[in-house]
Amino acid sequence: MVQNKQKEIMGRDSILKAIKQHKPDLLPIPEIDGARFDDDVNLLDIFKHNVALVGGSIKEVDKALIDIEIKKQFPHAENIVALNETSTLGTISVNKQTDPHELATIDLAIVNGAFGVAENGAVWVSEKESIVRVLPFISNDLVIILLKEQLVLHMLQAYHKIATRDRNFGVFISGPSKTADIEQCLVIGAQGAMSLTILLV
Amino acid sequence: MSHAEKATIFNKNEAKVNWHDKALWYVREKRDNAAHGVKEWEYLRDLASAIKANVLSDLDTYLVEFEANALKNGIKIHWASDAEEHNAIIGKILDDNKAEKVVKSKSMLTEECHLNPYLEAKGIEVVDTDLGEYIVQIAKETPSHIVLPAIHKTKEEVDELFQEHLGTKPSNGNPEYLTNEARKHLRGKFLKADVAITGVNFAIADTGGFVVCTNEGNADMGSHLANVHIASMGIEKIIPKEAHLGIFLRLLARSATGQPITTYSSHFNKPAEGKEMHIVIVDNGRTEQLSREDFRASLHCIRCGACMNTCPIYRRSGGHSYDATIPGPIGSILSPGKDLTKHSSLPFASTLCGSCSNVCPVKINIHEQLYKWRQIIVKDIKQPMVKKSILKIAASVLAKPKIYDFAGKSARFMLKHAPRFMIYNKLNAWGKARELPEIKNENFDQWYKINRKK
Ligand code: SF4
Repeated sequence: MVQNKQKEIMGRDSILKAIKQHKPDLLPIPEIDGARFDDDVNLLDIFKHNVALVGGSIKEVDKALIDIEIKKQFPHAENIVALNETSTLGTISVNKQTDPHELATIDLAIVNGAFGVAENGAVWVSEKESIVRVLPFISNDLVIILLKEQLVLHMLQAYHKIATRDRNFGVFISGPSKTADIEQCLVIGAQGAMSLTILLV
Repeated sequence: MSHAEKATIFNKNEAKVNWHDKALWYVREKRDNAAHGVKEWEYLRDLASAIKANVLSDLDTYLVEFEANALKNGIKIHWASDAEEHNAIIGKILDDNKAEKVVKSKSMLTEECHLNPYLEAKGIEVVDTDLGEYIVQIAKETPSHIVLPAIHKTKEEVDELFQEHLGTKPSNGNPEYLTNEARKHLRGKFLKADVAITGVNFAIADTGGFVVCTNEGNADMGSHLANVHIASMGIEKIIPKEAHLGIFLRLLARSATGQPITTYSSHFNKPAEGKEMHIVIVDNGRTEQLSREDFRASLHCIRCGACMNTCPIYRRSGGHSYDATIPGPIGSILSPGKDLTKHSSLPFASTLCGSCSNVCPVKINIHEQLYKWRQIIVKDIKQPMVKKSILKIAASVLAKPKIYDFAGKSARFMLKHAPRFMIYNKLNAWGKARELPEIKNENFDQWYKINRKK
């Protein structure tokens, strides 16, 4: 074991030494001119278009009618985790100590999205929103509640928005899980959620 | 076996080759559509390329910064000079945790290090959980493409494999049915795994975090369920700032599959409460590549696969013909750096048409580097061997009418810059089939500049 550790230290030093020896003269970090990516477009329209493009469904609903809409779409869901404050559909509660394996039978997860990215239909969901990291992946279906005004145009703006977050885990989710590994045929529902519904309030 | 000989085997099934060719070209077209929809796409590529160049010029500083920040967040960092050390480190983490079951998600680096056979020899169950990788794993093969690992398999072949390994019903290769059966099977594996191993798409120096991109969600299913998450990364995966992800994530999926972004772009900064997170930083020949000025830029690669999809030779010879973990144009630059004799035929598996360089999101001058390898190989490796492989490439891969048209475009360049024996040999398929046009006296740089503008 001691030997192993020593080898690793040698690995570290020899790698760093080899880099120092072989790297080219310092080249500058480029300045990013963010203004070049600005575009005077309707964020909501583009976001909706791209969510559909990546296989998600999206709908504007009245905040008070969220549960009615979800029930309409998922009438058979029984094991539900609802982390949105206005939804009362939850049948299973979770907290930071929840063993993620216990969520294996979740039919539906309802979580808040922090904000959406118009250019690719992605929504940022961090541990703050999902409480248990695995929840948005392991749930059979996923509903994300998003405030319509919480949209940015592109990923550079997105990173600006999360620059000062509490960094633990977070994910951009763009559509339901999918694969095209069998003869390039697109199949929705691979290892993660089988469907993604975004409700804009 | 040379690339050409292996390509000949792939070409035996003409219908399959034609399908392979078309399927990949279709992915290339999707890439074009996606790229054209982005304002300032070329500016994004310029930025990505410049950021990567900066990274390589200060790589040791960034790695140390990354390490310090990751350690602060409770992530354990390991360094491996080569594949053997990489595997031993992972082996030890598994031993320390008394792990018996491992789920893996797509990582070309663990392929490169031959981690699976190493772990299996230790009696550990390793399951590849990306559907394409799962297919090649049960077929006892290797991925033939870095983004589409099972692109060489027909749905009927997958059907048979699943019947044998998962007990599925014959379905004529119904992709939905087969995917769903795999989903059920892999769920069981995720739920029972002790350790999850993933790759790393980007490691961020200023936060000590890393990003993993998948469409299937398999990296997340694995890493959030298992008690221990090990992420393996090559030293070149570093980027300076988290804000730079705003450049790279705009380029990656669009270049890879034409999607605006992968379904999941997961940002790992701290282990979850009560869990362990490890990162293994691997050299395995990368510092040597860094020392080669002409080939250094190959370390910019973000593994999108676009150069493969667009390459006329790759499309008609299949990934396995390259006999290397990373196939295609970029693989043909990386592999000779590792073993020049074994891979001496690869830099010739190209028409030097430049299509790869044109689509590369980080602007690697792929075809120029291939040409540079050729010069080295012609000098260093015994001629008859090189000659044999080149002629066979011409015969086996390019002697198809369809590809010939395409090859014609770059023939001019080949004629001027190919070693003399490639042109003035009566067996040469290039020379045999067409009048050799007169070559204007351009040097390489002029040619390159002019052709880039076209
Ligand atoms: S060399 Fe460029 S195009 Fe090829 S896989 Fe790497 S990043 Fe993509």
